Amino acid sequence: MIFNLSHFQAMVLFALMVSIAFGFLSRRPMRERAKYIGWSFLLFVVIGIGIGWMMYPFSR
Amino acid sequence: MSDESQIQQTDTEPSPPSPAPEYEPAAQFHQVRPHVKRSPAAAAGIGIAGWILPGLGHALQKMWGRAIACFLAVGILVFIGSGMRGNLFQSADADAFGRLGYIADVGTGSFYWLAKWLEVKGPDVSHADGDYGTRFLAAAGVLNLLAALHAYEAARGRKA
Repeated sequence: MIFNLSHFQAMVLFALMVSIAFGFLSRRPMRERAKYIGWSFLLFVVIGIGIGWMMYPFSR
Repeated sequence: MSDESQIQQTDTEPSPPSPAPEYEPAAQFHQVRPHVKRSPAAAAGIGIAGWILPGLGHALQKMWGRAIACFLAVGILVFIGSGMRGNLFQSADADAFGRLGYIADVGTGSFYWLAKWLEVKGPDVSHADGDYGTRFLAAAGVLNLLAALHAYEAARGRKA
Protein backbone atom coordinates (compact mmCIF):
# COMPACT_ATOMS: atom_id res chain seq x y z
CA MET A 1 0.00 0.00 0.00
CA ILE A 2 1.38 3.39 -1.02
CA PHE A 3 0.46 6.57 0.88
CA ASN A 4 0.69 10.00 -0.70
CA LEU A 5 0.28 12.43 2.18
CA SER A 6 0.74 16.17 2.01
CA HIS A 7 3.31 17.87 4.25
CA PHE A 8 0.57 19.06 6.59
CA GLN A 9 -1.14 15.66 6.79
CA ALA A 10 2.18 13.98 7.56
CA MET A 11 2.97 16.53 10.27
CA VAL A 12 -0.47 16.20 11.90
CA LEU A 13 -0.31 12.40 11.86
CA PHE A 14 3.20 12.40 13.31
CA ALA A 15 2.20 14.92 16.02
CA LEU A 16 -0.88 12.91 16.94
CA MET A 17 0.94 9.56 17.27
CA VAL A 18 3.84 10.97 19.27
CA SER A 19 1.53 13.00 21.53
CA ILE A 20 -0.61 9.95 22.31
CA ALA A 21 2.45 7.84 23.12
CA PHE A 22 3.99 10.56 25.30
CA GLY A 23 0.70 11.21 27.07
CA PHE A 24 0.10 7.55 27.93
CA LEU A 25 3.69 7.02 29.07
CA SER A 26 4.08 10.13 31.20
CA ARG A 27 0.67 10.81 32.78
CA ARG A 28 -1.58 8.57 34.88
CA PRO A 29 -5.16 9.68 35.41
CA MET A 30 -7.08 9.71 32.13
CA ARG A 31 -8.00 13.37 32.49
CA GLU A 32 -4.36 14.40 32.91
CA ARG A 33 -3.45 12.26 29.91
CA ALA A 34 -6.08 13.87 27.71
CA LYS A 35 -4.93 17.33 28.77
CA TYR A 36 -1.29 16.49 28.09
CA ILE A 37 -2.07 14.89 24.71
CA GLY A 38 -4.12 17.91 23.65
CA TRP A 39 -1.47 20.42 24.65
CA SER A 40 1.37 18.40 23.18
CA PHE A 41 -0.47 17.95 19.88
CA LEU A 42 -1.36 21.62 19.70
CA LEU A 43 2.21 22.72 20.40
CA PHE A 44 3.63 20.26 17.85
CA VAL A 45 1.35 21.64 15.14
CA VAL A 46 1.63 25.33 16.05
CA ILE A 47 5.43 25.25 16.40
CA GLY A 48 5.73 23.19 13.19
CA ILE A 49 3.70 25.74 11.24
CA GLY A 50 5.65 28.57 12.91
CA ILE A 51 9.01 27.09 11.90
CA GLY A 52 7.65 26.56 8.39
CA TRP A 53 6.73 30.23 8.09
CA MET A 54 10.11 31.26 9.54
CA MET A 55 11.83 29.30 6.74
CA TYR A 56 9.59 30.77 4.07
CA PRO A 57 11.81 33.81 3.22
CA PHE A 58 14.80 31.52 2.61
CA SER A 59 12.92 29.00 0.47
CA ARG A 60 13.31 30.88 -2.81
CA MET B 1 -40.27 25.19 79.83
CA SER B 2 -37.87 27.24 77.95
CA ASP B 3 -35.38 26.97 80.79
CA GLU B 4 -35.59 23.17 80.70
CA SER B 5 -34.96 23.04 77.01
CA GLN B 6 -31.97 25.31 77.45
CA ILE B 7 -30.64 23.09 80.19
CA GLN B 8 -31.10 20.01 78.02
CA GLN B 9 -29.28 21.67 75.20
CA THR B 10 -26.38 22.63 77.40
CA ASP B 11 -26.25 19.18 79.00
CA THR B 12 -25.88 17.31 75.77
CA GLU B 13 -22.30 16.37 75.11
CA PRO B 14 -20.68 17.70 71.97
CA SER B 15 -20.59 15.12 69.24
CA PRO B 16 -17.10 13.73 68.55
CA PRO B 17 -15.44 15.06 65.43
CA SER B 18 -16.04 12.90 62.37
CA PRO B 19 -12.98 10.82 61.50
CA ALA B 20 -10.88 12.18 58.68
CA PRO B 21 -10.96 10.17 55.45
CA GLU B 22 -7.97 7.90 54.99
CA TYR B 23 -7.07 9.55 51.70
CA GLU B 24 -8.60 12.14 49.49
CA PRO B 25 -10.75 10.99 46.56
CA ALA B 26 -8.37 12.55 44.02
CA ALA B 27 -5.51 10.51 45.45
CA GLN B 28 -7.38 7.26 44.86
CA PHE B 29 -6.42 7.32 41.19
CA HIS B 30 -2.76 7.11 42.12
CA GLN B 31 -3.30 4.26 44.57
CA VAL B 32 -5.15 1.89 42.24
CA ARG B 33 -2.11 -0.17 41.39
CA PRO B 34 0.51 -0.84 44.06
CA HIS B 35 4.08 -0.61 42.92
CA VAL B 36 5.57 -4.03 42.28
CA LYS B 37 9.34 -4.10 42.38
CA ARG B 38 10.72 -6.94 40.31
CA SER B 39 14.27 -8.29 40.22
CA PRO B 40 16.69 -6.66 37.75
CA ALA B 41 16.66 -9.80 35.56
CA ALA B 42 12.86 -9.95 35.42
CA ALA B 43 12.68 -6.21 34.72
CA ALA B 44 15.26 -6.58 31.94
CA GLY B 45 13.18 -9.41 30.47
CA ILE B 46 10.11 -7.15 30.51
CA GLY B 47 12.10 -4.36 28.84
CA ILE B 48 13.38 -6.70 26.12
CA ALA B 49 9.85 -8.07 25.58
CA GLY B 50 8.64 -4.50 25.17
CA TRP B 51 11.34 -3.85 22.61
CA ILE B 52 10.64 -7.02 20.58
CA LEU B 53 6.87 -6.42 20.46
CA PRO B 54 5.77 -2.82 21.13
CA GLY B 55 3.51 -2.66 24.19
CA LEU B 56 4.29 -6.17 25.43
CA GLY B 57 6.41 -4.87 28.31
CA HIS B 58 3.46 -2.90 29.66
CA ALA B 59 0.97 -5.68 28.90
CA LEU B 60 3.01 -8.10 31.05
CA GLN B 61 2.53 -5.64 33.93
CA LYS B 62 -1.21 -5.30 33.20
CA MET B 63 -0.84 -1.68 32.10
CA TRP B 64 -3.32 -2.21 29.33
CA GLY B 65 -3.85 1.41 28.30
CA ARG B 66 -0.16 2.04 27.86
CA ALA B 67 0.32 -1.29 26.10
CA ILE B 68 -2.39 -0.55 23.54
CA ALA B 69 -1.22 3.05 23.06
CA CYS B 70 2.40 1.99 22.45
CA PHE B 71 1.41 -0.83 20.11
CA LEU B 72 -0.90 1.38 18.06
CA ALA B 73 1.37 4.44 17.97
CA VAL B 74 4.46 2.46 16.90
CA GLY B 75 2.43 0.22 14.57
CA ILE B 76 0.71 3.11 12.80
CA LEU B 77 3.99 5.02 12.41
CA VAL B 78 5.66 1.93 10.92
CA PHE B 79 2.68 1.19 8.66
CA ILE B 80 2.46 4.75 7.34
CA GLY B 81 6.25 5.13 7.13
CA SER B 82 6.67 2.01 5.04
CA GLY B 83 3.63 3.00 2.96
CA MET B 84 5.35 6.31 2.20
CA ARG B 85 8.35 4.27 1.00
CA GLY B 86 10.68 5.45 3.75
CA ASN B 87 14.24 4.21 3.88
CA LEU B 88 15.00 1.34 6.26
CA PHE B 89 18.68 1.57 7.17
CA GLN B 90 20.80 -1.57 6.97
CA SER B 91 23.31 -2.81 9.53
CA ALA B 92 26.07 -2.67 6.91
CA ASP B 93 25.75 1.08 6.32
CA ALA B 94 29.21 2.65 6.11
CA ASP B 95 28.59 6.16 7.46
CA ALA B 96 27.71 7.15 11.03
CA PHE B 97 24.34 8.59 10.01
CA GLY B 98 23.36 5.27 8.47
CA ARG B 99 24.41 3.36 11.59
CA LEU B 100 22.44 5.72 13.83
CA GLY B 101 19.47 5.34 11.51
CA TYR B 102 19.78 1.57 11.77
CA ILE B 103 19.75 1.76 15.57
CA ALA B 104 16.61 3.92 15.42
CA ASP B 105 14.91 1.63 12.90
CA VAL B 106 15.75 -1.57 14.73
CA GLY B 107 14.26 0.02 17.86
CA THR B 108 10.86 -1.04 16.54
CA GLY B 109 11.85 -4.66 17.26
CA SER B 110 9.85 -7.15 15.24
CA PHE B 111 8.17 -4.31 13.37
CA TYR B 112 11.47 -3.71 11.55
CA TRP B 113 10.87 -6.88 9.56
CA LEU B 114 7.19 -6.03 9.22
CA ALA B 115 8.20 -2.72 7.60
CA LYS B 116 10.58 -4.59 5.26
CA TRP B 117 7.78 -6.95 4.34
CA LEU B 118 5.35 -4.08 3.76
CA GLU B 119 7.76 -2.17 1.52
CA VAL B 120 7.26 -4.32 -1.53
CA LYS B 121 8.54 -1.66 -3.93
CA GLY B 122 11.50 -0.66 -1.77
CA PRO B 123 12.39 2.79 -0.45
CA ASP B 124 12.14 5.92 -2.58
CA VAL B 125 13.56 9.03 -0.98
CA SER B 126 13.64 11.03 -4.20
CA HIS B 127 10.26 12.49 -3.17
CA ALA B 128 9.21 14.23 0.03
CA ASP B 129 6.94 11.29 0.92
CA GLY B 130 9.87 8.90 1.12
CA ASP B 131 11.84 11.34 3.23
CA TYR B 132 8.93 11.72 5.64
CA GLY B 133 8.52 7.95 5.70
CA THR B 134 12.16 7.59 6.78
CA ARG B 135 11.48 9.95 9.71
CA PHE B 136 8.29 8.09 10.62
CA LEU B 137 10.16 4.78 10.79
CA ALA B 138 13.00 6.24 12.86
CA ALA B 139 10.57 8.02 15.20
CA ALA B 140 8.64 4.76 15.68
CA GLY B 141 11.86 3.01 16.71
CA VAL B 142 12.93 5.71 19.16
CA LEU B 143 9.40 5.83 20.60
CA ASN B 144 9.45 2.06 21.13
CA LEU B 145 12.86 2.23 22.82
CA LEU B 146 11.45 4.89 25.15
CA ALA B 147 8.42 2.69 25.89
CA ALA B 148 10.64 -0.33 26.57
CA LEU B 149 12.77 1.75 28.95
CA HIS B 150 9.60 2.94 30.67
CA ALA B 151 8.40 -0.66 31.04
CA TYR B 152 11.75 -1.59 32.59
CA GLU B 153 11.60 1.32 35.02
CA ALA B 154 8.02 0.46 35.96
CA ALA B 155 9.04 -3.15 36.59
CA ARG B 156 11.79 -1.91 38.92
CA GLY B 157 9.17 0.11 40.81
CA ARG B 158 10.55 3.49 39.83
CA LYS B 159 7.64 4.57 37.64
CA ALA B 160 3.91 4.40 38.26
